[in-house]
Amino acid sequence: MGKIKQNPFVKKVGFNRIVLCFVLILMYVFFCVMTQGAFTGMDRIMSALNYAYFLGFLSLGVTFVIATGGIDFSIGPVMFCCALVSGFSFVQHGVPMAAAMVISILVGLAFGLFNGYLVSYWSVPSFITSMASMNIAKGLASVFTKTQSVSWPQSAAEGGWYRNLVKMGSIPVGLIIFLVVAIVCAIVLNKTKMGRYILSLGSNKEAVRLSGVNVKKWEMSAYIICGLLVGMGALFYVAAFTTVQPGYGDQYNNEAIAGCVMGGTSMAGGLASISGTVIGVFIIALLQEGILALGFRKDYQLIITGIIVIVAVFSDVVSRRRKN
Amino acid sequence: MGEVILTMKEIDKSFPGVHALDHVNLEVRKGEVLALMGENGAGKSTLMKVLTGIYTKDSGTITYEGKEVEFSNTREAQEAGIVIVHQELNMLGHLTVAQNIFIGREFKKGIRIDDKKMNEEAQKLFDRMNIDINPKERMSNLTVGKQQMCEIAKAISHDAKVIIFDEPSAALTETEIQELFKIIRDLREKNLGIVYISHRMDEIKVITDRVTVMRDGTYVGTLITKDSTKDDIINMMVGRVIYEDPKTESMVPKDAPVVLKVDKLNAGKMVQDVSFELRKGEILGFSGLMGAGRTETARALFGADPIDSGDIYINGKKVTINNPQDAVKNGIGYLSEDRKRFGIVVQKSVAENTTMATLEEYMSGIFIDKKKEKEVAQKYVESLATKTPDVDQLVVNLSGGNQQKVVIAKWLTRDCDILIFDEPTRGIDVGAKSEIYKLMNQLAADGKAIIMISSEMTEILRMSDRIIVMCEGKKTGELDISEATQENIMNLATREIE
Repeated sequence: MGKIKQNPFVKKVGFNRIVLCFVLILMYVFFCVMTQGAFTGMDRIMSALNYAYFLGFLSLGVTFVIATGGIDFSIGPVMFCCALVSGFSFVQHGVPMAAAMVISILVGLAFGLFNGYLVSYWSVPSFITSMASMNIAKGLASVFTKTQSVSWPQSAAEGGWYRNLVKMGSIPVGLIIFLVVAIVCAIVLNKTKMGRYILSLGSNKEAVRLSGVNVKKWEMSAYIICGLLVGMGALFYVAAFTTVQPGYGDQYNNEAIAGCVMGGTSMAGGLASISGTVIGVFIIALLQEGILALGFRKDYQLIITGIIVIVAVFSDVVSRRRKN
Repeated sequence: MGEVILTMKEIDKSFPGVHALDHVNLEVRKGEVLALMGENGAGKSTLMKVLTGIYTKDSGTITYEGKEVEFSNTREAQEAGIVIVHQELNMLGHLTVAQNIFIGREFKKGIRIDDKKMNEEAQKLFDRMNIDINPKERMSNLTVGKQQMCEIAKAISHDAKVIIFDEPSAALTETEIQELFKIIRDLREKNLGIVYISHRMDEIKVITDRVTVMRDGTYVGTLITKDSTKDDIINMMVGRVIYEDPKTESMVPKDAPVVLKVDKLNAGKMVQDVSFELRKGEILGFSGLMGAGRTETARALFGADPIDSGDIYINGKKVTINNPQDAVKNGIGYLSEDRKRFGIVVQKSVAENTTMATLEEYMSGIFIDKKKEKEVAQKYVESLATKTPDVDQLVVNLSGGNQQKVVIAKWLTRDCDILIFDEPTRGIDVGAKSEIYKLMNQLAADGKAIIMISSEMTEILRMSDRIIVMCEGKKTGELDISEATQENIMNLATREIE
């Protein structure tokens, strides 16, 4: 085991991520065998991917927040709020599709600014801030849509071109965009000043502040990135599923955080892996699809994701304790 | 002098990279006060931690009351009758005196805590010790000296047979020390074994019967106090001369320009009307007891804590410092007393920590130029002789002295003119300490102005050109090195202020 970890290739890619890839493959094989091959079809994979896109954006976003040592429990409901407000604007107020998409991103950004400002400048704990904005997001969406669900247009309808975000003909556009965004996130986190300071302040905020760094600004930037990605995630949600209902979205918090933590991002802050998050998200999405394929109700997925969060966080805690 | 109650023989203990205790011996007898002396880092605290079960020894034996023992935690040691009175008081301010003394073993009446009984028992203890403290008083309302008395009362209430005092006088005033000595003599009368750890030579002469000296983790020897002189003990403590010669006069030219002037600085209770000047090339020592307000002054000056009032002039120009960013922009660097909390980011590499304050200089476009970053880190690793396999090493894996060098490198990349060293050698072994001293002298010779806060008298007297003494948030004196002695600094540091 020790030898494997010392291997230069393993070291470069990361032992954790290689294990995760194996888990992903094993899970796929497991579901294929358990469903007597019904799971091998392209449909299932495409369906799992549809789930992975929007969840992936949430998970990438929350990775930045967790890297600062914070948490965001508002991402799921905020994503729904984005989709509802922009969708309602398109359907009821005749706002053009392109503008509606911009609105979605702006709403996400607004929540990111709000959360970030409270956490970094007013020192409100992120746990409380995000719990509060989760409710604000739900309430706001309900008020705006008068508690009606919103159906975004189908592909053939007017403005339906937005669905190309996920799939254009047989090209999985969603996958391409998601991976490109993930690469950009990885570059921001590992190669830029912003990423360096986000990770450093997540590890020891006071030491970074006493180095003369504007920690408030950089901490807030993590929440803004998160909000931006959530606003984009909303577009991928509706492009895949078209219909959104107000008052929901909580379950995606857990799933997004699970993907992120499973991928090796530490809840204590200071340590984050974008590639880990990407694989983690694929695992969650596959799990969701697999459970449905096995004929279980969706509730089981909630239970399993809950357990995954606990196991992932616990193993992070244990590995840190061992290092100390 | 009575029979032997506690013997530690050939105690050996290693930590990764440090041989902390090298076959150390210690013998405590009933009815005597044994001084345990040695420079910081000599291993006194480690030895006491091995005794009370905080650390496990690698080899050696501990014999207590004729039986070989090994405690696995302080509680076991306490129950056996070995108690430490710590330098840092472990008291909960919002609880009463009695509640603190009996914490963890409260008297119960059914499921209720019996406060009345606790107060009575505490009163009995104080009566026995002949001291006047109200058991119902909130702990936070007591002076540090009185709080220490409570610690001692707590120790006695454990039915202690051996009490270890870990630098008990560090935070006490002259009168309080006298009171403490009275209690210690009293305990000696009652046939307890007492270990007294202290740096203060005068106290050792007054209160102890024998002196055991340690140096660099080894046992040097034991002397009878009344048969030995101060110099005997110092020689045993220091052994080889490894430090630079202490200064006898200021190295700063009379006409050196004032780079920093602080005028009536106020920040909270701990910084009241503090004024001073700092010259180019000068090492200005800040001396005083724990809680004298030295660190608070430095933090206020650096913008880490808010300033209430007062003016700061740098090179004659008035500046506003609201946060550390302002301070850094004005060429001030701060090396905190608590490296782990305020100095380094342990999960980051040596290179990343080195450029923490100057990252914008290592950018190419929006990307960090990691090659350039590593080059500069490497440069400072070499010039400061930091011991690290490479600059990608995480700082958490470095020793205290080398972590300190990384923090120094961080401020050197920034080219600060004013450097504040807060307890620069705390928790650093003796060898690395002399390197840090050399480095500080070099920096001063290069024209940097240095503020050095230190609780170690020897360090203050060895390094400073000029010394400012603080007591309870106020500046109580300013001494040129040529007129400074341990005694007159101590006088200023413990002066009672109305």
